[in-house]
This record gives sequence, structure tokens and C-alpha cells, in this order.
Amino acid sequence: MSDSTESTESPITTADGAAQILDQRYRPYDGARHGLAGAMRAVIVSSMRFTLGLGRPARHKFLPWLAVVVALVPAIVFVGIATVLDIDLISENILPEYHEYYGYIQAALFFFCGIVVPEILVADRRNGMLPLYLSTPLRLWSYLASKAAAVTVTLAVITMGPLLFLLVAYTVEGSGPAGIGDWLTVLVRILGSGFAIAATMTAASLAISSLTDRRAFAVIGVILLLLGSSLVTSSLVETAELDSRLYAFNLFEIGAALKDRIYGIGPPLQFAGDDGAPGRRLSELATWFVLSANAAWVLAGGAVVWWRYRRIEATQ
Amino acid sequence: MSNAAETVIVATTALTQRFGSTVALDAIDVQLRSGVTGLVGANGAGKTTLINALMGLRAPTSGSAKVLGLDPRSQGPALRACVGFAPERDVLPDEMRAVDFVRHLAQVRGLPRSEARTRASDSLWLVGLGEERTRTLGTMSTGQRQRVKLAQAIASDPQLVLLDEPTSGLDPTQRSEMLTLIGEISNEHSVNVVLSSHLLNEVESVCDHVVALDAGRLVASGPLSSLIGDDEGVTLELVDVAEPAGSVDAVELALRAAGIALERVGTTLRLGGLERDELCDRARDAVAEAGARIRRLETRRRSLADLFETAA
Repeated sequence: MSDSTESTESPITTADGAAQILDQRYRPYDGARHGLAGAMRAVIVSSMRFTLGLGRPARHKFLPWLAVVVALVPAIVFVGIATVLDIDLISENILPEYHEYYGYIQAALFFFCGIVVPEILVADRRNGMLPLYLSTPLRLWSYLASKAAAVTVTLAVITMGPLLFLLVAYTVEGSGPAGIGDWLTVLVRILGSGFAIAATMTAASLAISSLTDRRAFAVIGVILLLLGSSLVTSSLVETAELDSRLYAFNLFEIGAALKDRIYGIGPPLQFAGDDGAPGRRLSELATWFVLSANAAWVLAGGAVVWWRYRRIEATQ
Repeated sequence: MSNAAETVIVATTALTQRFGSTVALDAIDVQLRSGVTGLVGANGAGKTTLINALMGLRAPTSGSAKVLGLDPRSQGPALRACVGFAPERDVLPDEMRAVDFVRHLAQVRGLPRSEARTRASDSLWLVGLGEERTRTLGTMSTGQRQRVKLAQAIASDPQLVLLDEPTSGLDPTQRSEMLTLIGEISNEHSVNVVLSSHLLNEVESVCDHVVALDAGRLVASGPLSSLIGDDEGVTLELVDVAEPAGSVDAVELALRAAGIALERVGTTLRLGGLERDELCDRARDAVAEAGARIRRLETRRRSLADLFETAA
């Protein structure tokens, strides 16, 4: 190409002047190739950057980072209060404990899953990148696994990030767990519950996103699923006094219930009847049931995505 | 156009692909050799289906294929690591910079990050977009976007590049430039290319070998030089004038009397059966003797279109 040749500043000439290399740009590559693992890693990193709006125009950065800020701001405020007042605010029940912070990130989680996550699958189908990805070492399962991993890790920024920040800040401030054993226990609980919630939300969000090529429809679908599952099950259990196992269909609460089991405590949610008697509680549910319900969300979401993409693959 | 040592890069045996009652590929037996191979046929002929089968994206109903010595069905991921692909569909995310797009796909095809970055830039220079490499794809013209698709296909230094309708949407000038570029990539960088097209003249202009498909059937396959050529006789078109009267008839009679096989359509005579130079000499003599006037005397060339006409 003339462009390439012209761009070369000085040709390399052999000692006898018999040959010249005029173009040093495009050349053979004999180095290592990373295969499937490298392909998946590239898609995960690229998808995370895409989700967070990195390398994209500013308008794509606003919503994801707003969600991150919404999740982090309460933690920053709590740490500030703890630092200024200089007392053990957790023991004094002035500041929330680690498991209680989940209530502060629900809005960010809802926001992120509803508005940001759908784009991660929808965009590839809409702009035709999917067949291009499948022309590489990636297969359908590895492509979808990479996308799910990207969303889960990104969501974990919200479900784990603020709590890890709190753990470190409280520890530095002197209100953290006593002893290395307790500290590690809290760390494991933060990571475990954060991953569990992120996995459940990822599966549900991706399942809805796989059903349409229109981002707007996917956003509406995810929001309806999150809000609808919460409102309907709460109404059925509280108002209609149906079986509390219906909470299995409440995406937010069943995730919260699992988080509470990981922390080894009962859930904060208690419904009291008009007569003041204890109402139906999530804590009535057996741990195996809570665990199974969360696993069922993940498996069902994964099954929907797989079914949908097998159909898409067959028609391309 | 041909490389010195041609090796078989693709071989299929009775490759068949059915979709319900529709036969998209009907027992295709082909051998594609190194260089540029044109996969030619009308829309719906089975070109894209064949490409998908060769990449292992779709298991054939029956038959088998070997691409670069690998079985696409059982060794698909390993095969696709050595193959570049540019689909017909516009696959470029508008907000991405060209260099980021090419680098990302080079990484997905297995290159380390730093190497992918370098090669993305190099590939864009090679396709003539060096100065444009940091532009977002949404701001590029159709011709530039086609070049970006080509750049991503070659960035990982594949042994084989499959290009599905690489000139789709281009004007004649851009089409010519793209075909020249594809030829250069194959000749100067030893990249084997299979390009599909429904435009026969495109394939004739750049390809060493041709596979012609029609409704899933193999029409012809082999070196371009053996499928088309200049040995199809001579076309002689005369001017039909009043004086001398009947000059066209006289030329026809003279040529037939000389034992030359001919077909006449109006004032045009299609001559055959002898060497080209001999035919031209006889035609000249007959025209001179009859006092006729020549509008056109040209060697008739067998084209890919003739292959399809014969098959039909």
C-alpha cells in the first residue's frame, strides 16, 4: 500500500545494498496465542469497560457511575461520621452493621440492573457483533459465560465495593471486627453475599435482555421483573396471607434472605399484623429453601439465555 | 496472481447442508488452493452457508470438510484462531474507535494485548486507514467501514481470510480499490483469501480460483484460467449498408463455404472451430471480397457468466 510505504521514514538496506525493506508495518506474527482463555478474558474486560462506559462518550458513563456513587455515598458518610464522633458507632447501634448496608445499595442495584445491564447483550445482537465473536475461538457457551462474568463482576463492584470500603475504614478507625478471625469472617461474608446477590441479579437481568433486540424493551422488562416480583409476592404474602414460600419469586427479598443466612442472622424484614402479632417473615423459610430459590433464579435465567441464543444462532 | 507453490487449504467431500426441505448445499466437492479464491453465485446460492460450514459455525447435514488441515466440526475453535472473517453484515459498533475495534478482535482471536494494539494499527495502515484509525466507526463512510472489517480480519495474521461480500455497498471506484487491496494482501503478505460475491466481474478481476454455486449446487470449480479464457472464437459484426446489396449474406456464404462454423444473429456472425488468428484472417478476406464494412471484430471471451448460462 502506498500509505504504508510513504509512512516509512527510512528504509532498512542490506550491507550489499541488494535489498531494501520499505514497509515495516504489517508483518507475520509467530508469537504466542492465548486461545479460548484469552478470548474470554478479552470479552470480559471489554464488556466491563463497556458497561461502565469506559472508552465511550460521556453520556454512557453517567448512569453506571451514578449507580456506583449512589451505592458508595452512604458508606463514605458513615465512615465520616465514625471518624468525626470517635466512638464505636456500630456497637452503639448508631451506624448500620455490614449486613444492614444491603438496604442502602438496593436502589443502586435496581438502577444498574434495570438500565445498564441490558445493553451488554442487546448491543452485540443489534450491531451484529455476535456473529463476529462466534467467528473467533469463542463458542456460544464461552461467549455467554464471558458476558455473565463481566456483569457479575461489575455488579459486585456495587454489592461488595461499599462493604469492603466500610470494612477497611471501620478497621482503620477502630470500629472494625475484633481480631483477625472475626475480620476474615466478615470479609468472607461480604464476598459471599455480594457474589450471591450479583449472580442472581445477573441471571435475571440477562434472561430478560436476551429476549429482545431493543434496549428500551429490555430495560422495561428488567424493571418490571424487579418491581413486579417484589410487589406481587409481598402483596400475596402480606395481604392475601398466602404461603411465605412465595418469597422465592421476590428477586430482591430472596437475595436479601440468602445474604442474611450468610451473615448468620434473621432478616430485618418483619411484617406485623394490625393486632401487633408477628406477621409472616422471611426467616420462616428454611435455609435450604432460600439457597435453592436463589440457585433456581440463576439456573432459570441461564436456561432462558441459552435457549434464546441457540435459537438466534440457528437463524444466523 | 498465483503463488508459486499452491497448497490445498480447503477440501470438502459431499458437503451437504439442509434446512428442513431446503437444500442449501448439495454434496459439494471442492478443493480450494492458496491464493485468492472467489466464491461466486447469486444471492441464496449457498455462499454464506458454505463459509459458515467451513468455519465450523454450523454442522453440515452430511459430508465433511478440512480447512487448513483441521476438521471444522471437531476442531472449530482451533481452526477459527487461524482464520480471519469479515461478514457481509455491517458489524461495526458506531461509538468505538477503529483501532480499538480491530485491537479488541485481535485479542479475542488470541493475540496478547500489546501485540494486538500494534497489529491493529499496522492493519489499519495496510488497508489505507492509518490516518483515520482513531476515528469512531460511526463517523466513517461505507468504504472505510468495509476496510475496517478487512483490517480486523487480517489483524491476527490469519492463514486464511474469509470475506463475505467485501464490496457490498461500495461504488465502482471503491469496489475496484477494495479488490486491489485484497489482491495485494494475498500476494504481498501470503494471506489466503476466500471472498464471496455475486458480481462475476469482481471475481474475474482478482481471483486465482473460482467456486461457482447455483442454488446450492456446484456449477464449476478450479483455476480461473481454466474456466474462462480467450479461445471461444471470434465475433464479427458488420454494417448493414445498401451498397453493395447483400454484403452480409455474401460474407456469411463465403465463410460457410470455407468450412467455418458460424451462428448469425442479424448482422453479427459468431465464428468458431478454428484458431483465433485463422478465424480473423478468414473473416477479413471474406469481408474484403464482399465489399462489406466491419463494425466490430473481436475475440470472444468465455466468462463466468457463460458458466452459469451453461449450467442453467
